[in-house]
Amino acid sequence: MKDVIKEKEEQAKAAAAEDEDEEKIKTIDEVSETESPTSSDSEGDDKSQFIACALNIDIALIFPIREEASLYTFHIFISLVINTVRCEMLRRMPKHSASELSLNKDLPMKMIRRKSLSQLTFRGLKKEEIQQRNYLTLINMTIEELYIELLYVIIHNVGHCNVSFEIGETALFSYIQDAFKISNEKHQELYDVASKKEPPNMLLNVEVIEAKDLAPKDPNGLADPYVTLYLDSSTSRRYNSSVKQTTLNPTWEEHFALPIDENAADDTLHIEVWDFDPAETVGEKFGKFVNVKGVKGIRRLVKEIAVTATTGQHNNELIGRAQIPLSAIPATGMKMWYSLDKKNKVTRQGVIKLRLGFSSEKNSKVATQEHRHLLRILLLHELETSKVAPYWWCGTFSPQAESLITQHVAQSGLCPVDTALSQWIVYTNIHKTHPLSYDLFASILEKLVKPVQTGLLSEEDQKLFWNATHRLLPSCYAMIRKIRKTNFKEKNALKQISRVLSILGTICVLDSSENIHKDLVEAIRKGAKDWFDHLLENNTVEDDSDDAKLKCLVKIVQLVRTDLQKAVEYYDKMFQEQVNFQYARNLYNIYQKKLTELVKPDVEEICTTMAKMPHIGYQNYSQVDTSQPLTIGTTLFELYLYLQRFVVLGDGLCPFEYDSFEIKDFHVWFYSGVAQWLNIAFYKALQRIDKAVGLDQLIPVDNTVKYSSSAIDSISIFYQIKIFWRELNWPDVEGCYTFIAKIIDDICRCLVHYATQMAKAVEGMGDKQDMYEKKFEVTQEWCLAINNIDYVLQSLVPFTVELGMEDILEKLSELNSPLEAQRCQQTLETVIANSVDTVKNEIFNLLDVVASKMCPSMKRLLVEGAELFHQDCNSVDRVMMYLDNNLHTLHDQLNEENFNRILDIIWDYLNDILLDLIKTNLEKRRPPSFFANLLETLKLMKSSFRLNSNCECDKLKKTERLLYLNGLETPDLIHQVHLDLWKEQKSTEEPSFGQLTVKMKFQGDELKVEILNAKNLVPMDSNGSSDSFVRVHLLPEEMFTNISKPKTQTQHKTLFPLFDESFTLKLSPEQRNRPDGLVLFSCKDYDMLDYDMLGYNNQYIGEALVHFKDVPNGSGSVSSLPQMSLELRRPQTLGMHTFKDVPNGSGSVSSLPQMSLELRRPQTLETDALKALEFRQGDKQAKEFLRRYKMKMAITKS
Amino acid sequence: MRPTNKNTMLKVVILGDGGVGKSCLMNRFVSNHFDEHSFHTIGVEFLNKDIEIDGETYTLQIWDTAGQERFKTLRTPFYRGSDICLLTYAVDDKVSFRNLSMWKNEFLYYADVKEHLHFPFIVVGNKSDISNEEREVSQIELESWCNENGICNCIETSAKNASNVQEAFKMAVQYWLKAESRADKNEYSCNDTIDLTKKSGESRSSCCIGATEE
Ligand SMILES: Nc1nc2c(ncn2[C@@H]2O[C@H](COP(=O)(O)OP(=O)(O)OP(=O)(O)O)[C@@H](O)[C@H]2O)c(=O)[nH]1
Ligand SMILES: [Mg+2]
Repeated sequence: MKDVIKEKEEQAKAAAAEDEDEEKIKTIDEVSETESPTSSDSEGDDKSQFIACALNIDIALIFPIREEASLYTFHIFISLVINTVRCEMLRRMPKHSASELSLNKDLPMKMIRRKSLSQLTFRGLKKEEIQQRNYLTLINMTIEELYIELLYVIIHNVGHCNVSFEIGETALFSYIQDAFKISNEKHQELYDVASKKEPPNMLLNVEVIEAKDLAPKDPNGLADPYVTLYLDSSTSRRYNSSVKQTTLNPTWEEHFALPIDENAADDTLHIEVWDFDPAETVGEKFGKFVNVKGVKGIRRLVKEIAVTATTGQHNNELIGRAQIPLSAIPATGMKMWYSLDKKNKVTRQGVIKLRLGFSSEKNSKVATQEHRHLLRILLLHELETSKVAPYWWCGTFSPQAESLITQHVAQSGLCPVDTALSQWIVYTNIHKTHPLSYDLFASILEKLVKPVQTGLLSEEDQKLFWNATHRLLPSCYAMIRKIRKTNFKEKNALKQISRVLSILGTICVLDSSENIHKDLVEAIRKGAKDWFDHLLENNTVEDDSDDAKLKCLVKIVQLVRTDLQKAVEYYDKMFQEQVNFQYARNLYNIYQKKLTELVKPDVEEICTTMAKMPHIGYQNYSQVDTSQPLTIGTTLFELYLYLQRFVVLGDGLCPFEYDSFEIKDFHVWFYSGVAQWLNIAFYKALQRIDKAVGLDQLIPVDNTVKYSSSAIDSISIFYQIKIFWRELNWPDVEGCYTFIAKIIDDICRCLVHYATQMAKAVEGMGDKQDMYEKKFEVTQEWCLAINNIDYVLQSLVPFTVELGMEDILEKLSELNSPLEAQRCQQTLETVIANSVDTVKNEIFNLLDVVASKMCPSMKRLLVEGAELFHQDCNSVDRVMMYLDNNLHTLHDQLNEENFNRILDIIWDYLNDILLDLIKTNLEKRRPPSFFANLLETLKLMKSSFRLNSNCECDKLKKTERLLYLNGLETPDLIHQVHLDLWKEQKSTEEPSFGQLTVKMKFQGDELKVEILNAKNLVPMDSNGSSDSFVRVHLLPEEMFTNISKPKTQTQHKTLFPLFDESFTLKLSPEQRNRPDGLVLFSCKDYDMLDYDMLGYNNQYIGEALVHFKDVPNGSGSVSSLPQMSLELRRPQTLGMHTFKDVPNGSGSVSSLPQMSLELRRPQTLETDALKALEFRQGDKQAKEFLRRYKMKMAITKS
Repeated sequence: MRPTNKNTMLKVVILGDGGVGKSCLMNRFVSNHFDEHSFHTIGVEFLNKDIEIDGETYTLQIWDTAGQERFKTLRTPFYRGSDICLLTYAVDDKVSFRNLSMWKNEFLYYADVKEHLHFPFIVVGNKSDISNEEREVSQIELESWCNENGICNCIETSAKNASNVQEAFKMAVQYWLKAESRADKNEYSCNDTIDLTKKSGESRSSCCIGATEE
């Protein structure tokens, strides 16, 4: 038999897929499976059971149970009723929730109504017979039988105001003929069978829902309304609702089923609302109703009210009535408000809300089975003819099919739950081969939720439901798995996903034991994995290069992130709301693992090889092609940034799991790459600096500033490094600190490089060559170059701040310890200070270059000036002008610091030039005037150009002195030697050759000298003694040529001679006032063998010098002169010493203290004055002086 | 006003296992200070110090590196451009001594030096103050290692009692001078270097602004 069906179906649907066939068989199997127990079990058929139960109720209610009847029996009875009613209610009134059906105070009333219903609908068939028939029908149901059934349905169309009427029987016949693929002959044959079949027994189902605004009937302005209903064709059979006490807006929600016959089209339903008569018995009853307690009481009350209600034995007042022709009721049923009228009353008596519909008493099992087949065939036909796209069909049939189905539902007495379940079963089945809209499933499921949830479906139906559900689930999961194929921009696609989720969510709620959640996660995971694999497959590396590999990774990370974003944007909320699932979070978890697996090894490898890359070297950064490491580095960085963004997304999405993610430490993979990035950044910077310098026109960027374009470019180059650093946003604090140190060090190198390039750029500028000379003029370009470096240097410290140093140190302090952070800070500060110093040195070097370039011109001009000083004053002016011009430029262009610096340097150079000039021109035997002229020029320059630091002054002073000495005429120079000796005598600690005691003073213009004695003279003769005498000279010699040089008597053979001789030397006022006049006491050993008194043939013992200023002024005799003990010395070196013993004041010479003078000898030739003398080779006087001087020294040495 | 730093600048790196006393050596050398409880260095530390040799002043820019393995990627970028490398170990730590080769190789690998053979490495055995029982590396072992590795300068120091610390740095500079003069002879020019620490020839020998004294 199965084969028959199978064949026929195959015929009907030639294009059907294989598994669909299996499905058909299965459907049949299911049917036989579910039906088989029915044959043996009396509860198999709801309806028969219902009827049976109803009968029991009848018995129980109509024939009062005896007092002694056990409570137990009653209990069973009640539960039976409840179950039955529940089942039946479910079929008929699916809108009512189970709670309404549960045991409540209204229940007895309902039981009463059931009683009347069942009584009337029972057609006298025996229960066994019904079962038998059902079974056979189900077993034997073929396409043809179904067809016949459909024809029958069409013939006995119910509900006269719906589409089927408009379409007409014939249209419907041809439609099903088409759908079932039935030949004309066969149709006719089957039609005959159908038309001969007994017309169906139909029921009119009425639900009295509520009434409103009823006309008041009782003195209290209210009423106690109840409803009576009956049909025209059978006025004696009335149905009453319960009475609602004291209300004008009662709610009943009670159901009635009125049997109708074939003439139903002409019949009319009457609805009457009555006010219950407040007769005391009935009132009592209702009063009791409220107060009833205990099972017995309920039973009694129920019975009494039932009697009253069914017999209509009351004397009540009509409130209003309504008539409804049955032809006005559509086959699909309806819910409506009706006005209540009353004869001879114009005003409305209120409104009543009714639900009206038809049903048949056909066996529901058979009917549902039929219905499923019908749905299946019609839907297949529908799909075939309409060519609706997959996932689009959402439950709308053609009008013909629609009408057929409606008729079948009505005539078969199928309730909405039945139809919904049928649809669920059939559609899920067809869905496998031709996907239908999830909207459809969602809406069907919605109707099934409550029945399933409350366990009100029969066990078989439950089973069918779940079977169907399991058929649907895979496609739901597939949908989730392929979520990425949905075009999220299309509204419908998103809606489909939402519906799928809603379906899953609902199913999850229906049965928590179902592993929906687990499967969903699996589907999501699988989907994500498949997609990831798909990404890998579709993003293969073009060539084997690291760069290609990285580019590929970048793309994948990017795509994954986009997918996540989509998930967040479009699906996450949906998943959370519908299935309480953290979609994005789960997805992220999957991806982060996948990405880690994929990216980590490659990145680590590439970073390592990159670090191993031969270093480019600072030297030849420009020649080396940095493009390759540069591109790899750039791509690697790009990857880093994408991963970074990915990780940030994770932080937001999964705040709890985040710490366990391996990918959060992604930066570690890049560790060895960062150094190389920094290097690349550094090389890039170097190359860019070259370019910037090349492009620099060396004109100020605008007239308010004194730097040019490359300075700004360089700063922006550094800025880019900062941007890189910011973007890198390196998470590891220790790394940050170290990298910052590196960056600062690199920036410093860049700055030095910039300085070098800047110097190169201006190298030849300012050099001028005319026919006479090569000349250098300070130009604006030079100044700009210097300012540029300075300007860029100024940006260094703010730059380091902007790198986020402070922040890093703070974190270090938290993470490690404040002490360590302090160390790090110290390091960074040292690095910065070091950088600043280094660059300042570079600036200094450049300033130095400028200054040194000025040197040749300065030198030449100075020489010219010195040579021509007296003849041509202009030549000095020329030096001054040259300096003036250049300094002017420098002053205008450079900042103060640099100007001061260069001024120092220039002075330094000037000094060098002068020293050099002195040296070379001494060799050239220039006359003293040459040097004197130079000195004059120097003094002029000094007064014109500010000098800054003292140390330079010292140097210059020395030079000045050299110029001064060399500028002196020879006698002056000789005197200078004496003065040096005098100074040296005062300071030296050398042992003396004896002490001389003298007294001396000026009296008027006379110098009075008293030579008292000498002590400890060095022995000059072989006998260890001396024959000494003292001569007095006044110096400078030229000044005192007219003055005789007095000498004492020779004291023989003693080292402690007593002279006691006085001299008066008469001086002119001019001589007297010579400021640097000296008195020289020369002590000699008288040589008997040699009488040449003029020469120094007498043995020289030593000498002592007294400055005029140390000689006191006074009057009186010589004897009162102060004694002076003079050390006898010979010339030694220059030095400063104060002469403490010199008395100051006037008075007689004799009253003056004695002066004790150490006798010394000249010791050195190393004074500037002596050296200057040495250079005067052609000068006899100089030569002679030096000869004697050296002789004096020679004595010491011998 | 005028920058005082006209000296030759030399970049010195100190390498060696964590805890051998690199930071202590540097601090002893720079500030003559010893801290018994010093921290492990993070990444690098940097200090400047002038040193006078044969009347000439040199400014040493000393980069003290972190010896711990986890800092490898952080310290290596600082090797480049070094003039002198101090390879240090602790005489009471055999492992640190054995690691010297590793340090030498790591340095040569990342430092980008031109002439491996003549690079001025100085081997410094620190903590010489410890007792004989604690000593794990003898002077003889040190010398033989140096011989094998073509390094002719080694010294044992103690940052704790300041012995040989100045000498170690001095020795390093002297060795550098030797290497440099050899390089000069070989006309080994790196004139267009932009690396300030690696000035050659005339530019290196102090930038005294030509103020040639008499
Ligand atoms: N006895 C002794 N101990 C020393 C000497 N020098 C350093 N130490 C100790 O060795 C330990 C480590 O010294 P550090 O200078 O921090 O070691 P380091 O080589 O810088 O270590 P890292 O920074 O981790 O590379 C400290 O506890 C010091 O007190 C030394 O000469 N003698
Ligand atoms: Mg350290």
